[in-house]
Amino acid sequence: MLKIFVLIKQVPSLHNLQIDKRTGTLIREGVENIINPDDLYGLELGLSLKEQYGGEITAITMGPPQAEFALRECLAMGVDKSLLITDDQFAYSDTLQTTLVLKETFDKIKDYDIIITGSQTSDSSTGQIPFQLSEALDIPLITDIFTMEIENNLFKCHRNFGHESQNISVDLPILIRVRRHFNEPRHISLSGIKKAFEKEIEFNDFNTFNCPEYLDGCNKSPTNVVRTEKIVLKRKNEIIEGNINEKVQKLLEIMQEHGIEKIWTGESF
Amino acid sequence: MDWGELLVRRWKKLRNTNDYRDVWVFTEIKDHVEVHECALQILGKAREIADKLGQNLVSVVLALDAEQYLPVIEEHGVDKIIYLSHQDLKHYHERIFTDLVYDLIKKYKPSIFLFPSTEAGNALAARLAYRCRTGLVSDVLDLELSDEFGNNLLIGDKPAYLGNIVAQIICPNTRPQMCTVTLGTFQKTKMRKENVEIIKVDYNFDKSKIKIKILEAPTRRDKPSSTLSDAKFVVGGGHGLVSKENFDKLFDLAKLTNGQVGGTRRPILNGWMPEHLQIGISGESIFSDLYLAFGISGAIQHLVGITASKTIIAINKDPNAGIFKVADYCVIGDANEILEGLLNYFRV
Repeated sequence: MLKIFVLIKQVPSLHNLQIDKRTGTLIREGVENIINPDDLYGLELGLSLKEQYGGEITAITMGPPQAEFALRECLAMGVDKSLLITDDQFAYSDTLQTTLVLKETFDKIKDYDIIITGSQTSDSSTGQIPFQLSEALDIPLITDIFTMEIENNLFKCHRNFGHESQNISVDLPILIRVRRHFNEPRHISLSGIKKAFEKEIEFNDFNTFNCPEYLDGCNKSPTNVVRTEKIVLKRKNEIIEGNINEKVQKLLEIMQEHGIEKIWTGESF
Repeated sequence: MDWGELLVRRWKKLRNTNDYRDVWVFTEIKDHVEVHECALQILGKAREIADKLGQNLVSVVLALDAEQYLPVIEEHGVDKIIYLSHQDLKHYHERIFTDLVYDLIKKYKPSIFLFPSTEAGNALAARLAYRCRTGLVSDVLDLELSDEFGNNLLIGDKPAYLGNIVAQIICPNTRPQMCTVTLGTFQKTKMRKENVEIIKVDYNFDKSKIKIKILEAPTRRDKPSSTLSDAKFVVGGGHGLVSKENFDKLFDLAKLTNGQVGGTRRPILNGWMPEHLQIGISGESIFSDLYLAFGISGAIQHLVGITASKTIIAINKDPNAGIFKVADYCVIGDANEILEGLLNYFRV
């Protein structure tokens, strides 16, 4: 039976961002939270693998207590189990700290075949977790997959890698990073919503992991955010006046300043 | 643990960071043809940083026949080149590259290590940061050295929330301080140092460590030779171009000017252009010298993908269109007429 795990993150919706001037982090209160859009493709892949090969699928997230709602959404989509890793000690974890916590989590789970992630989150957008978790668990990471099949313990797939189109085979367990638009994430059904509230969510906190002291997110993360600023786009906003010919003429001048000139294509249009 | 003990531990960690010196740049070779432009640009900025620190700028090269790329790298201000050359290094390989470069880090202890933000660069940097248990700041907009938070610490400006905010990030207690940099962020500088030291490291890798078996690997024919993200000139179109016939003129203009076509979500839904040409949140970001936006209203989903373009010209009928707020030049008028006018000039 396949043991599938999908990593998701709850992210703030991107309207009306507010930043705490003191800590330099985002104020989460009063902001609508959603499942990171890229992670939906991972959930869909996990669910379809389960439908095809059988098994059990678990959604895992690390975040503040309200991330429970993101997990309820995963349960409503059809996920069997969910795990929320939450503790004040994990607040402000950077990617390395997050990876170390996830490593502890999977070392405790022990029995896993496929771990699925999205490409990146819309809030911090580092895209580092899949690579770092692959290092931490010492299992291969497969990216940019097109077709796949599983036979016993062997995972075969077709993927793009650099400028090669590869057919590969690899023993489970593996990590898969799903690219955007890989599939069509399913909608939540009414019966799914009903089931979501009947299932229990498992919680892990700092003490679950025999408390290795390096897991303290705030103090042990190697990177620190020292300042944040909202980007104000400064552009000239110069209005080009005149009739149509004058406007075209001015545009041609600007294009020439940028080194754009007519090239000979040998074709006529 | 009491505070005294904590401080002593921190101090020990800080002291260890003094063993690390020099600024390293992972000088990626693109498609085993040439030195990646982004790597050369990073060398330009890294030279400044190394000068301020009074330390060496070191280029790290892993490639097949790596010697052929060294003269170009020597033209870009390096003090030292450390390289490995072997058939197995023709393409980036997650296991081989990570193991070999990690060995170099352990041996030479660089203080700063910068990577191009490419498929290979991002992957390698993230893996190495884990192995070194250090921090990695991705896609920095700028880098500076500052004494504000510690002696000569590197501060990286990183965009977050889809480019809505910029966060300044330091990595005070662990080394190397690592960052990835996107194409077009820094300027390359041509300069040649006297007596560039060149170190060849022998290739030695135990292939039994590789877990992925590659059954076959034909070269991809679908991979475009030039893409939106490395185009110098991009013409973009939106719903305001009204018809497929008009939108096709963008492709004509791009062909005549050696540019690339991109667009918003709407032209894809309208069937005017394929999905991979989308610019914005769910598509590509562009880093062009010039971007011409025809009939694009300027939804935030599109704007986040164009902010890295050096100059933006927007053409739209609606004077209140959001795109004008982020444009250097604003043309209020019919995008189709302007497009036709430009084409008339280039067609001659």
